Amino acid sequence: MSSAFDFPGGIYPPERKQRSNQAALVSAPLPMRVTLPLQQHSGQASTPCVAVGEQVYVGSIIARREGMISSNLHASISGVIAAVSASHIIIEGDGQDTWQRLPSLDWPHSAPAELLERLNESGIVGLGGAGFPTSVKARVVEQHVIHTLVINAAECEPYITADDLTLRHHPTEVLEGAQILAKLCGAQQILIGIEDNKPEAIKALNKALPNSQPVPVALKVVATRYPSGGERQLIKRLLNLNVPSGGLPADVGVLCHNPGTLLAALQAVRDGQPLVSRVVTLTGEALTQPGNRWVRLGTSVKELLTQAGLDQTSVAQVIQGGPMMGTPLLTLDTPVTKLTNCLIAATIAELPPAPAESPCIRCGECESVCPVALLPQQLHWYARAKDDAKMERYHLFDCIECGACSYVCPSHIPLVEDYREAKGRIRLQRIESVKAEHAKHRFEFRQARLAREEAEKQARREARQAQNRRPHSHASTENSEKVDLRGLRIAHAAAKASVKKAEKTLARVAQEDPKQPLDDLEMQLATAQENLRATELQLAQAREQQPSKESS
Amino acid sequence: MSRMHASQVNSRNAASVPSTAHLMRWVIMATLPGIATMSYFFGLGVVSNVMLAGIFGLGLEAAVLRLRKRPIRVTLNDSSALLTGVLLGCSLPPASPWWLIGVGMIAAITVAKQLYGGLGHNPFNPAMVGYALLLVSFPTYMTLWAPPQEFIPSHLWAQIAGTLPTAQLDGLSGATPLDAFKHKGEAVLASEFWATDPLPNDTLRAWRWVALAWLAGGVLLLVKRIISWHIPAALLGSLGVLATLFYLSDPSHFASPLFHLLTGATLFGAFFIATDPVSAATSRRGKLIYGAGIGALIMIIRTAGGYPDAVAFAVLLMNLCVPLLDMYSVPRPTGQQRTSPVKPGEQP
Repeated sequence: MSSAFDFPGGIYPPERKQRSNQAALVSAPLPMRVTLPLQQHSGQASTPCVAVGEQVYVGSIIARREGMISSNLHASISGVIAAVSASHIIIEGDGQDTWQRLPSLDWPHSAPAELLERLNESGIVGLGGAGFPTSVKARVVEQHVIHTLVINAAECEPYITADDLTLRHHPTEVLEGAQILAKLCGAQQILIGIEDNKPEAIKALNKALPNSQPVPVALKVVATRYPSGGERQLIKRLLNLNVPSGGLPADVGVLCHNPGTLLAALQAVRDGQPLVSRVVTLTGEALTQPGNRWVRLGTSVKELLTQAGLDQTSVAQVIQGGPMMGTPLLTLDTPVTKLTNCLIAATIAELPPAPAESPCIRCGECESVCPVALLPQQLHWYARAKDDAKMERYHLFDCIECGACSYVCPSHIPLVEDYREAKGRIRLQRIESVKAEHAKHRFEFRQARLAREEAEKQARREARQAQNRRPHSHASTENSEKVDLRGLRIAHAAAKASVKKAEKTLARVAQEDPKQPLDDLEMQLATAQENLRATELQLAQAREQQPSKESS
Repeated sequence: MSRMHASQVNSRNAASVPSTAHLMRWVIMATLPGIATMSYFFGLGVVSNVMLAGIFGLGLEAAVLRLRKRPIRVTLNDSSALLTGVLLGCSLPPASPWWLIGVGMIAAITVAKQLYGGLGHNPFNPAMVGYALLLVSFPTYMTLWAPPQEFIPSHLWAQIAGTLPTAQLDGLSGATPLDAFKHKGEAVLASEFWATDPLPNDTLRAWRWVALAWLAGGVLLLVKRIISWHIPAALLGSLGVLATLFYLSDPSHFASPLFHLLTGATLFGAFFIATDPVSAATSRRGKLIYGAGIGALIMIIRTAGGYPDAVAFAVLLMNLCVPLLDMYSVPRPTGQQRTSPVKPGEQP
C-alpha cells in the first residue's frame, strides 16, 4: 500500500543497504573498557555521581540528569570507575557482566507518572540520531493533544539498516514499546511508516500486528525516497499534516518515535534495564564482516570496526551516521554513544571526495529536490554574501539539512555546510541580542527600584515634616514646589497598565512554552511593579499636599 | 553535508544529475540536429560560424581568465564558453565574416560574462548580448540571410574572410520569412502577400525544417532533464496564445500562430537561449513568468517593433526582470503559513 500524500522534491540515492542487512543482528563482544561521554543526548550534559575506584554493575547510574532537558547515564559494563572528567567517565571492565536492574513494571497497570519516571531514570533518549530525552518528549501531552503516535521506521538514508534489523528481530517488542508511549501520550492510533525497501521488516511487522493491544496499529508502507524519514516529511506522507514552521509534530497532534527507542523504552519498563546498549550498523566496503550489532555504549569505534574486519589499507574515511547527514570521524579513538546509529568504513572508490566546486549556474536542480520547497540556490547566494536578513526571509530555518541539494548540485557546492554555518551565526547573534535585552531590563529594574526607594524616603520625610509642622500652622506649604497632580495621575495609570501588561505576557508565555526561561519576563514585571509603587507614593504625597495648598 | 554525490554514484535510477560540464556538453550535443539541418539548407557557412565562434569563445575566455589570474584549464573544461560560441554561431547569418563573429564574441564572453565575474554571475545571456550588439552595430551584415543554396556556396571563403565587396553581398542575400512579412506594407493583405510568392524557392520549407530540428534538440534536453519544461512551455504558450488572438482579430494583417512558432528563432530561443539557467529566473513560478514574458515580448516586437525577429531583445529584457521575479516568486516552504514572507528585520 502506498500513501496518497506526498512532500515535494526528494532524491533517489543508491541505497547500499544490502551490505549490512544480510547478516543477523548479533551482540558485539563485551568491551573491556568503555568511555562514556556525559553528553550523549540533546540538552545539558549530565553530572557524574560516582568516584574513581567505585565498583559499578551494568545499569548502575553513573551520572545524573541536569536541568530540564537532560538524561541519566548508566554503566554499560560491570567493573571499576577508572576516570571521571568534565566530559566523560571511563570504566575498566571486570569481564563479569553483572547486572543491576530496576524492578520490572507491569505497564498496562502502572500509573503514567510511574512509567515516565522509569523512562527518565533509565536514560532513554531518541535513538534515531537526535537524542532527545524520551520522558521529556512524552510529557508534551501537558500542552498538546496527541492523536497519533508515528513509528518512524522509514530509515531513508543509504547504508543504515539498524531499524530494519531491529524490526526484523523484535517486531512484537517494538510494538509493545509503542503501546507504552501511546498510553503515556493518549494517542488514539499508532502508525508505522516504513519504506518499501524493507520487505522482511514489513513481513515481521505484519505478523506481529494482530497481537498489539490496546491502541489500534496500522502499517503504512511508503515508496522509497530520500528524505521520507524526516519527521515532517513522514508526517506529511502518512497523515497529510503540515508541521508548522518552527513548530513541533506535537503542534499537529503527532509524536514520532524511532523503533530502537521504543524497544529501549520497553526494556526499561518491562525488564528494568536502563539504556546501556544500542543497535549499530557497521558497513562500508572496507569492512569484511559488515552487519548490525548490539553494542554497549562507550565501546571504542576502533575496537568495534576491527572486530568487523576493518581493512586498514583501503579505508578512506569512517562516517558516523548516514552518508547524507552523517559526519566523518576525525579519529577512531572515539566511543559509540546513544546517538551512533551507523558507522560506515568507506573506501575511496565508494564515497569519493567531492570534486572541486564550480560556480552556481542557477540550474534549479536543488530547488526541485528540496523536500521543504526552499530555494537553495538563492540561499547559497545570500550565504556567501553573509546576508543574514535575506537568508531568514528565504526561510533558512526551515531547512532540515537533509543534503538533497548538495547531492544533486552539478557544481558540487557544499550547500548544507553553508546553511549550517549561517544558522550557527544567526543563532549566536540572536543569543547576543537577547543578552543585551536582558541586561537592559536588569538596568531598568535597578533604576525603578532606586526611584521607588527615593519616593519612599521622600514620603517619610514629608510625613516627618508634616508632624513637625502640625503644632504650627499650614504656613510653610506655600514654599513647597507646585505639584503636577494631573501628570502624576497619568503616570500612575500608565504604570498600572504596564504591570497588567507584564503579568499578561508572563502568563501567556508560561502557558505556551513552559520550557522557556521566564526570569527576564519576571524581571520586567518586577520593574513595572516598582514603577507603580513609586508613582503611587508620589501621587499620595501630592494629594496630601494639594488640599493643604488649596486650603491655605 | 552530503558525502554522496549524484555525479559520482552509479545510481540505477535515471534521475541522477550530471555535473555542470556535462550539462553544458549535453546542450552542445543537442544543438547538432539544428546545426546539421541549417547546414543542409543554408550551406557550410553555418558550420564555419559555429566553429569560428567556438574558437573565439575558448580563446577569449582563456585570455580573460589569464588576466584575472584564474585557473584556465578547469574553467575552460566546463565548456560554457564553447556553448556560448555555438549558440551565437547558430544565430548569425551563415558565412558571417570572421571579424563580425569576433566582435560578437568579445561582447559575449569578455563583457557580458567575464566582466560580471564569469560563469554563474552574468545577469544577461552572453550569446544574446553579442547578437544584440551586432544587430544594432552592423545591420547590413546581420540581415544578410542567403536563401537556401548549395552546400558550398561560391563565395563562401571570401565571405568568411570578409574580402567580398559590399556590393556583391546584397546580391547574395534574400529576405527571411519574418522579414518579408514585416515589410509587406500596410495595404497588402496577408492572403495577397502569400499569393505573390514573396520568398525565394524553398525558404519557408527550410525554415520550418530548421525549427523542427531545434525542437528535436530541445526535446532531447527535456528528456535528459538538462532543462526543465517551464520556460519553453511558458514561452511557446504565451507566444502561441497571443499570436492566435492577434490572428483571430484580423487574419488579413497578422501572421498565423504557426508562422510565428515555426519561423525565425522561436524554437531555438525557447529551448536553447531562454533556458540558460544563469540568466533566467530560478523558482518554478518565476520560470513560468519569465518564459511567458519572453513569448509576449517576441510577439509585441515582431508586430509593433522595428525588428523582424525579437528573440534576443525579448530575452535580454526579461533578463532585466529576473531579480524582481526571483524576489516575488519565492515558494512557500512546507509548514509556513499562507502569508507574505517575513520582512527583513521582523521577528519570524
